[in-house]
Formats: sequence, C-alpha cells, structure tokens
Amino acid sequence: MAELDVAVQVAEASQLGMKALGAGLAVGLTGIGTGLAEMSIGSAAVGATAENKDVFGLVLLLTVIPETIVIFGLVVGLLLLF
Amino acid sequence: MAELSSGPVPYVYVCTRMRVRKSKLIPREDYVRILNMSLPEITRFIEETEYKKEIDELAPSFQGIDLVELALSWNLAKEYQEIQKITPGVLKRFTQSYLLRWDIQNVLTILRGKAQGMSAGKIREVLVPAGELDRVFLDRLLKEDSPVRIVEALKGHSIYQILSEGLDAALEEESFARIENELYKQFYANLLSEAMSGLRGGKQFLEYIMLDIDITNIRNMFRLRMDRLQEDARSMVVQGSTFSADEFQHLISIDDQKEFIDALKAKVRLKPLIAMLDMVESEKSLREIEIELIKVQLSQMESLSKLNPFSIHPILTYLEKKKYEIFNLRAIARGKEVELPVDRIRGYVVM
Repeated sequence: MAELDVAVQVAEASQLGMKALGAGLAVGLTGIGTGLAEMSIGSAAVGATAENKDVFGLVLLLTVIPETIVIFGLVVGLLLLF
Repeated sequence: MAELSSGPVPYVYVCTRMRVRKSKLIPREDYVRILNMSLPEITRFIEETEYKKEIDELAPSFQGIDLVELALSWNLAKEYQEIQKITPGVLKRFTQSYLLRWDIQNVLTILRGKAQGMSAGKIREVLVPAGELDRVFLDRLLKEDSPVRIVEALKGHSIYQILSEGLDAALEEESFARIENELYKQFYANLLSEAMSGLRGGKQFLEYIMLDIDITNIRNMFRLRMDRLQEDARSMVVQGSTFSADEFQHLISIDDQKEFIDALKAKVRLKPLIAMLDMVESEKSLREIEIELIKVQLSQMESLSKLNPFSIHPILTYLEKKKYEIFNLRAIARGKEVELPVDRIRGYVVM
C-alpha cells in the first residue's frame, strides 16, 4: 500500500514538473519567435522614424504586433499551470 | 566581421531609410507644375522641399540660377555623404565604390572648365564632392591653373595613372573624351572585380553593374551611330556584360537603323529594354533615346530593389533617382534662365 502511495506521489510530481516544463517552453519559445519577428520590424521602424518622425505612433503599433505571439504562449503556459 | 555578426538588422534599417527618402523625391505631377514656373518660383518651390537648408544657407550670397545650381549640387553631395555614413559593412564599401564615379566627373569637369577658361567659382557650382575627393581637396584642385599640376595633385589616387598617361594627348587634341573613356572603363572593371570578390551581397551588386554597363554601351552605340564614326570603336566598349568589343563594333557598323535595332534586340534579354527598342524604331532624336534608356534603367533598378529588398539595390536606386531629380531641376532651371519653351525643356527631364 505504501509503495502504491509513493508511486502515485511520484507520478503527480512528475506531471506537475512536465506541466511547468511545458509552460516554460510555451513562454520561452514564443518569446524567441516574437524577438525574431520584432528584430526586422523594429529596425525598419527605427529607420522610418529617423527619416520621418510623424510615423512614430504607427511604427510603434506595428512593432508590438508580434507581442501577440508571446501573449499566446503566456496564456497557454497559464492554462497549463492553473 | 561586423556585417556577419550583426545579421540583417542594419540592412533592414538602411534600406527602409532609403525607401522613405525615395518617397520624398519630387513626383511626376510636380514636375509638370515646375515646368510652368518662373525661376524665382522654382527657387521658392524647392525651398519648401528637401532643399530648404541649402537655399537658406546660400541665399545671402547667391541668387537666380547660381543659387539653384549651387543648392542642388550641395544637397546632392550632402545626401551622398550622409548615405555613406549610415550604410553598414559591405554595403558601405559597395556604395563608396559606386560613388567613385563622381571623382572622375569632378576631376574632368575641373580639367575641362580650366581648358575653356571658366572661373573657379563657376566650375565649383557644378562639382559634387560625393566620392573620395572632398570639397577641400577639390578647392585645392580649382586653385591650380595648369592641367599638369591638377593631375599631379591627384598622385596616389586610383585615377592618377590614366590621367597622367593620357594628359599630353588630351591637351594636344583639346579633348578629354579618350581619358574619360579609359577612366570609366577602369571604374567599371574595379566595380566588377569588387562585386565578384566573394563579398556578401556581391551578386546583387553585380546585377546592377551589368545593367549599368549594358545601358552605357547601348547609349554609346546610339551616340557613335549618330556621329557616323568610321574608325574602330572597339576601345570604347565597356567590357564585362552582354557586349564584347567585336559585337559592339559590328552593331555600330550596321547602316540601317531598323537592322541595327533588330540585331540589338536579339542580343539583349531585358524585356523593358526590348520594349523601349521597339519604340525607338520610329525615328527619335538621340536625346529622346537617352532619356528612354535612363527610364528603362531606373525602372529595372526599381524591380531589382523589390526583388532584393534588403540589399544594395534600394540604396543604388535611391542614389540614381536622387541624381536624376537634381539633373531634372537643373535642366528646368537652366532652361528657364535662357527662356527655352516648355516643350523643349520637357525633353530633357526624366519623369
């Protein structure tokens, strides 16, 4: 009986660990994806703003659009954990 | 190594800046308006655009056509210097190599101006210090009176050898055409070797150079045919692209215009160029043909810059378009100064 309890505890602990790992991967990988996407958009945005300051608001908006990717990752991570 | 480790980011940055600058160039509709303006109105118009700083700076000392000419030259030089500052790594090297053509143009302008007895001030108005030779150095050249001393002052520069070898003959013939031809041949040979040296982005640079060489050769063919040149023209061909020296000689020796155009069309592959040559079959003046060739070159460069959005192409496209904007404004201003009819001036404008 005691052995079964230990086995259940180990299974539960490893399940929790896997969830945490999955959540970490979800946030981490989407973060990298967002970074890659923002790299080009950001440099183009800085270039455009350097030439024409009026476009700052618009390019800021365009630059943060890939943030949605990491937000999806965060949501998935939170759903996994809670 | 900088360009390898920094990835595409600097390319994206500088190409976007070039695109924004290109969007600020004077559009076709405005040229139509400018053509109907007087010289003071043109001055006021360009003062409201990207030339404000130069016009404001020069207005106390100059007026009329001198003010416009100098402001345009200063603006072009400033623009080219700025672009060299913001372009990264290999793109900077390619841009600098491309801009060396201004050294050739400036030195030849000084030599020709001096030979014709023009004042240093008048020559200075049309100099564009965009290459290796800066304004201070060009001023030093302008102070020299003898062509020999001007050439000697260029010792150590890449164009010195050809200039020193051909100067005596040029002074004897009273023409710098042969020297000019040799200098441009050397210039293109250097560009080709740089593009083929294995540097990153060299392939795209090579595409531009080959296009430029083809357009230059075709323009020269039309010029030589108009001049009805009898002598051997093999030495005038810029090699490295579609036309070999023998093909060039064969093409310019064809008497019939239609036959020449057909032979040329069979040789070139570029569709806009073939379409342009179809149009040229009907009688056109040399000036009209040259303007059409420039339009084909610009439209092809535009296509290349869309195909390779983060390469040397957007930079070169902007540099060329800016150059023609300056040429257009200068042509219109000069035409207005000598009171040419609008239709005649329109023939010199690339729109």
